[in-house]
Formats: sequence, C-alpha cells, structure tokens
Amino acid sequence: MARVMLDVSSVYKSFSEPVLVDISLHLNGGEVLGVVGPNGCGKTTLLRIMAGLEFPDRGSVRREGKVGIVFQEDRLLPWKTLWENVALGLKYHGMRGEELTKRIREYSSMVGLTDSDLSLHPRKASGGTRRKAALVRALVLEPEILLLDEPFTGLDVKARASLREALKWIWDEYGLSTVIVSHQLEELLPLADRVYVLTPKPARVAEEIDLRGMDLERRLERVKEALLHILSRAGSD
Amino acid sequence: MTQGRKEADKGREIAFRTGRILAGLFVLAIWISASTTGMLPGPAEVLAYLLSMKLEDIVPQVLKTLYNSITGFSLSFLASMVLGLLSHKLSLVKGFSEALSEIFNSTSALVWSLVLVATLGVLSPLPPILVVAAVTLPHVLTATVSALSSADPGLLEAVRSVGAKPSDEFFEVILPSSVPLLASASRVGLGTALRISVVAEAFGSSGGVGYMIIRSYNLADASGVLAWSIVLIALVLGLDQLVLKPLERRAKRWLE
Repeated sequence: MARVMLDVSSVYKSFSEPVLVDISLHLNGGEVLGVVGPNGCGKTTLLRIMAGLEFPDRGSVRREGKVGIVFQEDRLLPWKTLWENVALGLKYHGMRGEELTKRIREYSSMVGLTDSDLSLHPRKASGGTRRKAALVRALVLEPEILLLDEPFTGLDVKARASLREALKWIWDEYGLSTVIVSHQLEELLPLADRVYVLTPKPARVAEEIDLRGMDLERRLERVKEALLHILSRAGSD
Repeated sequence: MTQGRKEADKGREIAFRTGRILAGLFVLAIWISASTTGMLPGPAEVLAYLLSMKLEDIVPQVLKTLYNSITGFSLSFLASMVLGLLSHKLSLVKGFSEALSEIFNSTSALVWSLVLVATLGVLSPLPPILVVAAVTLPHVLTATVSALSSADPGLLEAVRSVGAKPSDEFFEVILPSSVPLLASASRVGLGTALRISVVAEAFGSSGGVGYMIIRSYNLADASGVLAWSIVLIALVLGLDQLVLKPLERRAKRWLE
C-alpha cells in the first residue's frame, strides 16, 4: 500500500463565514491528485492550508515531507531576473556557487528553460516562461509534495501544452506526489490519478473519483457528471 | 501600434512641448511688463549682470547651497529610514513619527530659520542644514513609512514559501519594493531642500545662493537679486532634469 504523503483530516475553516467544512482527503506517494469544484468554492484556501500558509480552525493536516507550492500568480520578484528568482530558496538554504548553478540547470532544463530564458526579468518573459520559472523555484528545493494552484490559468494553448509536458516528464522521472487545484478540467484530467470534487461554498468533499484505467473522454464525462450533480443539488437547496 | 495612434501620440507630444515653451514665454512676458514700471530690472539688464559675474564668484556659492541642501536632506532621509523601519515593527515609534511629522509639517521654514539662527548664531554653518532637514523630514518620513508598507503580500508569501527569514523578507522584498516610491520622494525632497536652504542662508552669514540674494537686496541691487535668483532656478532645474529625474527613472525601470 502506498505511503500517505499528505493527510487532511476533518478540516474546518471560516473567514467571517464558513469556507471549508469537514474536509478530509489524502495524497498517496507518487500520486497526482486533482481538486475540482465551482469557482470561489475554497479550493485555493484548501491548498494554502495543505501548504501550511493558512491554519485550519478545526481539524488537522499531516505532511510527510517537504512541501513546495506554485501559486496561481507567478509571484516572481520583478526587480530580479528569473535565474535570481529561482535561486532565492537555494540561497536561503545556504547553497552557493557551482552546486547552485548545477541544481538550477538540472531543474530548468527539465521544464525546457534555457540560461537565456532565465536571464530575463519577469516583465520581459512570456507568461509560460514565468510560470515555468515559478515551478522551477519550487522544484529546485526538491520537495516531496508539490502543490499547484491553477497552473494553467492565463496561459495560451501552446504554453499550456508545454507546461503539461514538463509536468508529465517530472512525474515520470521523479514520481513527485502532487496536488493540483484547477477548474480547467481538460488540462487537469489527463494528468490526475484521482480527483476530489468539492461542493460550492462552504466546500465539502462531494465525491472522490479514481480516474485510473479511464480514457480522457470517460474521465471528463465522469467529473462533469459529478460537478453537474452538485451544482443541481446546490440550485435546488 | 496603428499609424493613426502613432500620429495622435506625436501630436500630443508636440502640443505638450509647445505648452512648456509657452509657460517660459508667459513668465518672460510678466517679467518684461513688470520691468516697464521701473520697479524691476528687465531681462536684458539681468542677463548683462549675469554675464559680468565671475565663475569663481558663482561656483563657491552654488557649492555651498548644494552642500547645505544635500547634507540636510541626507539627515532627514537617514532619520526617516530609521523611524520608518522602526515604525514598521513598533506602534510606539509609528505614533511618535506621525506626531513628529505633523508638528514639523506645521512649522514654516521661516520659523525654523529664525529659531536656529538665534540659537546657533549667524556665523554657524548649521542652521541652513538643520532647516532643510526639519522641513523635508515630514515629507520624506511619510513617503518612507508608506513605501515600506507597500510591499506586495503575495511576494512576501512567495519568498516565505521558499524559506526566507524576516531579514530576507526585508532585504529581498520590502526594501526593493519601496525604492520607486523613495526615489520619487527623494526627487521632490531634494528640490524642496534646495529652495528651503536659501531661506535659511538668507538669515545667516555663512554664504550660499540665499545669502547672495539677501546681500544684493540689502545693497539695493535689484539686478543682483534677480541674477542670483536665476542661478538658483537654473540649479534646481539642472539638478532635477540632469541628475534626479534620470536616477528616479533608473530606480523605477523594473516597473516599466
């Protein structure tokens, strides 16, 4: 049985009104887990709680290893080059010189970024390059758990395809346990092993779907069916 | 960009430059009409006076005024940075800084000049420097406090997520984020410092452009007053356009 890397148990969170109610889910080692739900249902809050950037009012989160997070916005320091942005975390952990250069090149080449791409300042780089740099910033710290918040949002078709390929390559190579929060089912479902479907706010887990063994068409059909079901229930309440 | 848009932008640029030239001509016209009453010397007379001035007479006074302004401004900038940083962490210092700004902001340069010259003496070189520091402090301090709190919380969270310590957050995010605002405040502050230092110089006897203006006035030398005033205007404009504006642009280049 696979090791549980992240265990979210009975989490409740409120910001003046309840956002997450009794959320329980888990991420197995080497698995890609999707979290889907209607816009504004609390997916990002849940991801932030998983990352330890927010604390639940009730319930618990157990992490088995280092967590890396890639935010929905690139959040790159605009006065630094992409290389300097990517190097930040390594420098904070005391890495310098050849070792640092080697580590950055290893992970940037993995997602298709060259030294020339990394020499740019964020404002000069394309959306896809910035998103990849944000991904490399998390990857170079070699996390055991990767959390991705809407990784494909704001990217054009070509950049989305390129990022998807890069992620696939990383998972095939490293088997990195990953949670992806996304409302773009066409991008998420080819990648995910399992999906949790959340209800509209306050979010509860409506359904857990194991996608393994399903083709893309079936995956889309199954998740859309679950989403339509919770939306129709929410409409009738 | 479309051709029509480019032409419209070019038209606006020409109109803007014409407006600037018209402003200069407007000031010149007022001066000429004022000089016809015989109360003021005309532009030609003042120009002749300026041309008769020796460079070795002008340069030391200009340097003195620059020294007073830059030293005074540096003092207020340093004090603002210290108070701004502490305000970021301590409410006591924040309250102290705000109240100090309000008091200093309500006190005119004239009052500071008289009090400091009376306290330190007319021969002391300190009053112009301290007046500049006191008058520019509220503006620079307010800008510093707001600049230091303008850092994007998303960026702070991003560096924290890769292991930044509070000191890293300060040096990597808070300080660089505040540079554009501080650069703009410094540009305005230094311009103000130059104009204020001449007021304080006028009350002392330690030299500077302000001292030369009041000296000419006491000698009933109206051409001298206007000639030294033009030197001051040229100094303020030159420093702003040739030094401060390019520096501000450089500090803001990552925003463009």
